[in-house]
Amino acid sequence: MSGVEVNPGVEVTGVSKRYGPATVLDRISATFEAGRFTSLLGPSGSGKTTLLRIVAGFVVPDEGELRIGTEEVTRVPVWKRRIGMVFQSYALFPHMTVLQNVMFGLNRRGVRGPSAAREAREALEMVRLSGFEARSPKQLSGGQQQRVALARAIVTKPTVLLLDEPLSALDRRLRQEMQVELKRIQRESGLTTIFVTHDQEEALTLSDRIAILDRGRIVQDGAPGEIYEAPRTRFAAGFLGDANFLEATVVAGGVDVQGGMVRVAGPLAAAGSKVTLAVRPEKMVILAPNTPHSFDNAMPATLREVIYAGAVSTYLLAGPDGRELKVFAQNRSQDSAAPAPGAAVTLGWSAAHTIALED
Amino acid sequence: MKRLGLAHLWVVIAFLYLPIAVMVVMAFNASPLYQLPFEFSLDWFAKLPDNERLLSASGNSLILAVVTAILATAIGTPASLALSRRKFRGRSLLQLLLLPPIAIPWLITGTAMLVFFFSTGIGRGLFAMTIGHVALAIPYVVLVVGTGLQSQRADLEEAAMSLGSTPLHAFFSVTLPLLLPSIIAAALFAFAVSLDQFVVSYFLATPGVTTLPVEIYSAIRKGFTPEINAISTILLGASMVLVLAFALLSNMGGARERR
Amino acid sequence: MTELAAPTTASAITTPAASGAEKRGWLATAGLLLPAYGWLTLAIFLPLLMMLGFSFLKVAPFGGRTIVWTLDNYLAFLKRPYLRDVAWTSLSIGIWTTLICAVIGLPAALALARSTFGRTRQVLFLLIILPFWTNGLVRVFSWTMVLRDGGIIDGLYHWVLPDAAPLGLLYTYPAIVVGLVHAYLPYMILTCYLSLVAIDDQILEAARSLGARAPVVFWKIILPLATPGLISGSVLIFVPVIGSFMEPRILGGRVGVTMGTVIEDQFTQAFNWPLGAALSFTMLAIVLAIFALAAPVLKRQQGGPRP
Repeated sequence: MSGVEVNPGVEVTGVSKRYGPATVLDRISATFEAGRFTSLLGPSGSGKTTLLRIVAGFVVPDEGELRIGTEEVTRVPVWKRRIGMVFQSYALFPHMTVLQNVMFGLNRRGVRGPSAAREAREALEMVRLSGFEARSPKQLSGGQQQRVALARAIVTKPTVLLLDEPLSALDRRLRQEMQVELKRIQRESGLTTIFVTHDQEEALTLSDRIAILDRGRIVQDGAPGEIYEAPRTRFAAGFLGDANFLEATVVAGGVDVQGGMVRVAGPLAAAGSKVTLAVRPEKMVILAPNTPHSFDNAMPATLREVIYAGAVSTYLLAGPDGRELKVFAQNRSQDSAAPAPGAAVTLGWSAAHTIALED
Repeated sequence: MKRLGLAHLWVVIAFLYLPIAVMVVMAFNASPLYQLPFEFSLDWFAKLPDNERLLSASGNSLILAVVTAILATAIGTPASLALSRRKFRGRSLLQLLLLPPIAIPWLITGTAMLVFFFSTGIGRGLFAMTIGHVALAIPYVVLVVGTGLQSQRADLEEAAMSLGSTPLHAFFSVTLPLLLPSIIAAALFAFAVSLDQFVVSYFLATPGVTTLPVEIYSAIRKGFTPEINAISTILLGASMVLVLAFALLSNMGGARERR
Repeated sequence: MTELAAPTTASAITTPAASGAEKRGWLATAGLLLPAYGWLTLAIFLPLLMMLGFSFLKVAPFGGRTIVWTLDNYLAFLKRPYLRDVAWTSLSIGIWTTLICAVIGLPAALALARSTFGRTRQVLFLLIILPFWTNGLVRVFSWTMVLRDGGIIDGLYHWVLPDAAPLGLLYTYPAIVVGLVHAYLPYMILTCYLSLVAIDDQILEAARSLGARAPVVFWKIILPLATPGLISGSVLIFVPVIGSFMEPRILGGRVGVTMGTVIEDQFTQAFNWPLGAALSFTMLAIVLAIFALAAPVLKRQQGGPRP
């Protein structure tokens, strides 16, 4: 694969894949920017792993094209693409030492002997596992195996780094540590990275860009902040974070929700059409009824339950039509005037935080 | 209740080993008519090398067992790989076809071989017995290697490919080394199957060319001689060693990873 | 994390399916399978087919004799009553052996599965399986040592009662059954053990928490769950036993006449190969019928839901 620039981007155009009657990927097009960390986020069955495996070369799409850099590689077998992949189960070779594992890819590229060993040691240093060269995979903990898998994947200086839910087998603390490590390594190496996960928090933490997949289609993609604050669909709003959904009808100046007027900052469809609104729980504020406030929007509600979680509390409320609403608030003050379950309250929020969804 | 169960278990084990123990003990008994009281003697073992028939039969058995082990493993391993790793139509049928050699009573398969080999000019003797033994061992080899393959993870080969290995190279550098204990275990199994094989050898033997089990059988039919005990004890010991080796290898080759 | 992704189980390598690679893949698969199945065809399937053909002949077509087709051999049961007796003997030996193995084997498997643990269990398991993989002939022979007049049992008996007549244990039907039970008991213990060990302890605990005492737990829970093991074990024992000729001859002497010995005679003494072939295939038909009936149970034992 000559003529490929260092750290090229990956481009997927119109890719579809079917297994029997099931369409796993439906005309997906996406660009994975060079040198950036992009996450493929979605529930089980959304097709994210299949897409990753198409980029890797284990799966050939039924339709569409794949480019790595400037080269079209849709049908190039995986061993000819210069990728680095970290598998969900790490897939370390049990009959080889850590060093041999990491050198494997180098040997395949024709780098052998002392120079291969040197590069392998450097990679192990990068993942902070120097000194583990002679161990066998059996002797390593989950987190350590993960790092060896990472070292093995990046030592060959691949064109793109692919990670298939690599952190899902780790416990929470270890996961968070590894997330930080992963981000650092990606920054240092500058590799174009594609990361598959179903954990939205992980995606938000690690990614430069997120692509949300649902049933074989990319529902939305963009920077984490963008997608979080401005989801386009109900699925995106509900999958990445929590949301309160309000059914409304467009009227002049805003929308009508159950007889009350709600102002929306963005553009709206024609008057009379139906629209679903989404408001993030942390954007709503609970006020005692009849308290003067300067929020654009306000809605009466009844407090049902308070779920205390130390730093934050989740408030479950019932809206005017009985629907469940959720509010997150930090526990800033020991407020003796805090409402108790059963109390009637007012929810306030701004027009800027009222999102009109496209579906 | 539990103690009753355990007692029963021990009684069963005693039952399983009693006659074997008696036979082994008698092999060391000086009396040529198996008469007690017991008098320790290694005579019968010493007499073995003089018994031409037994010696030649033992030699045949060993040669057959080695050849069977090699051939059955060489043939069965590729078949097992194809059956485990590749999806194709008719796979279940082929897997089913591995059953007849072990499911059909060896009496029937043995006589069928006799008939077929006689009609086609292969006749009887070592060559015919080789064909028969290998055929009987193949299903076992496929089974043992298949079990070893199943406990292996496919993502290892994928990992190798992601690092630049062609499928062939991935097989030789990753799958095969990890499969080696299973392959050796399968070879041992085939060896044991051949060594202990009686029925098929019986039908394919000629007066001049027999195997050890067949010789033992004729000797039993003619009358008892303690030499049979001696050679049987040796055969028994050899089988047990093989089984133990096989058990150790299977445990080692299998799920060694701690995940 | 199982999606509808490419199969990543240990059952398929997904190679990029360019049509050239597909064709080469097919060829490679055939190449891998051919030696084994070719060998089996030559050594097993063709011989069986030929023997099937033989079973319809009047005489073996050697030495220039003409080929005469007949159904006589299959009708031999009607023409030769002694064959019916022999068949019945074989069946009853088979049933007795299987029954005794079940009665002895299930409790032993139960004890092994539920009352032993760790290393002890492994060692005991190995002890039970070990004789099974040694030479069957040798084991049968060893029984003659024990049962014969002047052997261990007879010797002990006469040590206590010196003037009694010889016990005459050898060369009887019970001797044959004892030898067969000894040879095949490990099968039953193994299959029952596999069924029993798969029973989740928590099921039994739940039963006890609901007030069931030991006998009830056994009859209503353990036994039904062990039934697949009993059935597979029975099949694995009954089939070879009805075809056995070695044990009946050695342990039964002149009394030991079974289908197996009769068939063997046709090939080694009487040289009536067509009759032997027909009898063999009759037995084979019975064997296949048994397998067909028990197939669902056997399949579940082999590849069923893993705990």
